[in-house]
Amino acid sequence: MEQKKTFVEDIERTLYDIRNEDRSVYKTERGLTEEIIRDISRQKKDPEWMLDFRLKSLEKYYQIPLPDWGPDISGLNMDDIVTYVRPGGKMAGNWQEVPEEIKATFDRLGIPEAERTSLSGVGAQYDSEVVYHRVQKELSDQGVIYTDFETAVHEYEDIVKEYFMKLVPPKDHKFAALHGAVWSGGSFVYVPEGVHVDIPLQSYFRLNAAGAGQFEHTLIICEKNSSLHFIEGCSAPRYNVTNLHAGCVELYVKEGARLRYSTIENWSRNMMNLNTKRALVEKDGLIEWVSGSFGSRVSCLYPSSILHGENARCEFTGVTFASRGQDLDTGATVVMLAPGTSANINTRTISKSGGAATYRSAVKVAPGARGAKCLVNCESLLLDEKSRSDTLPVMDIETDEVEIGHEAKIGRISDEAIFYLTSRGIGEEEAQAMIVRGFVEPVAKALPLEYAVEMNNLINMELVGGMG
Amino acid sequence: MTQDIFSEIPLRTWRWLGVNEALLPEELQQVPNDLSNKNTQSFPEKLPWEMPEQISVPAGETVEKIFVFRSEQVTNIRAEVARGGTLNLICIQLLPTDKAYAGKVLVTAGEKAKINYTAVEVGAVHTLTNLQIELDGNGSAADVAAVYFGDADRRLDLNYVITHKGTDTDADMQVRGVLQDASDKIFRGTLDFRQGSRGSVGREKEEVILLNEGIRNRSVPLMLAQEDAVNGQHAVSAGHMDRDKLFYLMSRGLDEKEARKLAVGALFATVLERVPDADLREEISREVEERIEHGQR
Repeated sequence: MEQKKTFVEDIERTLYDIRNEDRSVYKTERGLTEEIIRDISRQKKDPEWMLDFRLKSLEKYYQIPLPDWGPDISGLNMDDIVTYVRPGGKMAGNWQEVPEEIKATFDRLGIPEAERTSLSGVGAQYDSEVVYHRVQKELSDQGVIYTDFETAVHEYEDIVKEYFMKLVPPKDHKFAALHGAVWSGGSFVYVPEGVHVDIPLQSYFRLNAAGAGQFEHTLIICEKNSSLHFIEGCSAPRYNVTNLHAGCVELYVKEGARLRYSTIENWSRNMMNLNTKRALVEKDGLIEWVSGSFGSRVSCLYPSSILHGENARCEFTGVTFASRGQDLDTGATVVMLAPGTSANINTRTISKSGGAATYRSAVKVAPGARGAKCLVNCESLLLDEKSRSDTLPVMDIETDEVEIGHEAKIGRISDEAIFYLTSRGIGEEEAQAMIVRGFVEPVAKALPLEYAVEMNNLINMELVGGMG
Repeated sequence: MTQDIFSEIPLRTWRWLGVNEALLPEELQQVPNDLSNKNTQSFPEKLPWEMPEQISVPAGETVEKIFVFRSEQVTNIRAEVARGGTLNLICIQLLPTDKAYAGKVLVTAGEKAKINYTAVEVGAVHTLTNLQIELDGNGSAADVAAVYFGDADRRLDLNYVITHKGTDTDADMQVRGVLQDASDKIFRGTLDFRQGSRGSVGREKEEVILLNEGIRNRSVPLMLAQEDAVNGQHAVSAGHMDRDKLFYLMSRGLDEKEARKLAVGALFATVLERVPDADLREEISREVEERIEHGQR
């Protein structure tokens, strides 16, 4: 007997595939050379040490080979990617100063609305430079620094110099080296000791010019006993040329601090999203990752948590939705270095219409991390026979006093669950919808309300019961 | 001299974890008799022992084969199980502790055929095994149960792959192990649901008891699916011995090593029960107990 299938419609992308006319005032030559790096550095008025850093990173970039694992990124030709595109607007201090066209795009994405209501600051990145940025007065009064990264390099040079690419050194992998050479834009957040930022800070990234890469750098430092929720969202219009996103996120969670880092990525389907995110967590600190991956042609995204201090903790929640033409390779890594550290990784992946989703993770327990505990749970849902879903976790344990558990499931929506719900009087379509909604709920419930709503809008799943 | 790859995972991952492939130890890399054959990539064909042990199970029949490896450093078994046939294959590796061992098993199962595979890996200083089961036939099934014991500075590298190709296939992979001293183990277990394997079910579970600091345990449970109408699950649990259990046993007058022996014996029991020869079972248990007794910590 032919089994019935739940049909999940593709993500509605019309809104996100709006493309504005490219009016950039400055573009670098295509390809990557030392001259281009010097050019970028000059344009940005980098201090000398930053230029040196960029040039050393470029050398590393040339030396390091492409990874021999993961999705196919052979469609990526660095010579075709313009590494730095500066949009027409200058840095804007308030919303009115942002160019109308750019504003209209943000309006469609709902950012000012969100900002006006409850969010405390917007650092929206249009192409490679922050064009609009605002921090509410009370945050400044608390001593919280929230600024674009270029400003931080000049105004908070000592702090930036101490932390910049120390957690993700350029030698880490080819795209980290690339990032070190061409980084541009991004956010800098410094939360002083004991300060609790009650409302989430958000940053919304957008890419506009065809063939432009985005290499934003995010550096967040949460001092002792402070707390912060930072939200990063990514969306880009659709283009024909392959686009590259090789951002870098470095998070420092000091003793007793808590940081929640939420991301909803919805890059257009021509994007190569090769992003590196890493957190260093000290004693009694907590890093919480909430990660939704919906867009991109290729994604390689594995937020990494280094639990360095005793009893440091990591909570990771992720949802990945891969549809036609997408190869989304996502997951997490946790390195447990100290006694009493613990981690909880919970992920859901959905594949449909020929999409490929891979869950990839690594849990490393170093010698001496006695009492470490880690629980991994990943579930994958395949919605048709054209799609694929792979699970590739690795556990590497070097001490005995540990409790490490891993569970994974792969499959389709079970007929029994549908049968049970329909036997309770729920229609079949609604039963299927309920199951899929329940499947992604762990991420939806970890997001603030307005972002949970946005995620629903992003997915815009149209669940239609019937024959597949 | 570059080392040959003996086994590798179907999907590669980060190099720093060191789990992508297993290299053949140098002492097992013999020069081929026929140097013109040097380009041959696959491991068994390249070496003099290229003739595998062939097992053929006729349709509807049941065949039981028990191999006890005490001196063979390289083994190679190929089995075909025809329609409705059953193969009970038991491989027990008890090599001396100064020898390296590499064993390869490839089984293909036809329609409604069944392979019951039991492995005991307690010997050798360096063990590599590569088990490949291909569930080609509709309704074919694999039941894999293995135990391993690592102590001193032993290295174990186990690579098990069950490939679901036919419809309604069923796989069960249960692996149990104990690591002590400075032993180092990698277990890669793969359930691969190929397109067309509709209605197939696969379960994989690894349980590892870690007896002291200084061990290294790497567990890599892979699940690959190109088919939606399948049901796959895998689980790994790794950690120290249950403290309550240990405390209970010790409160009954057993010392810690005796208590460990009992707990390890219990962990291994369900797998060892599949070995029909009582003397052999006894020999394995005794070997494990002695190793625990002589544990360095």
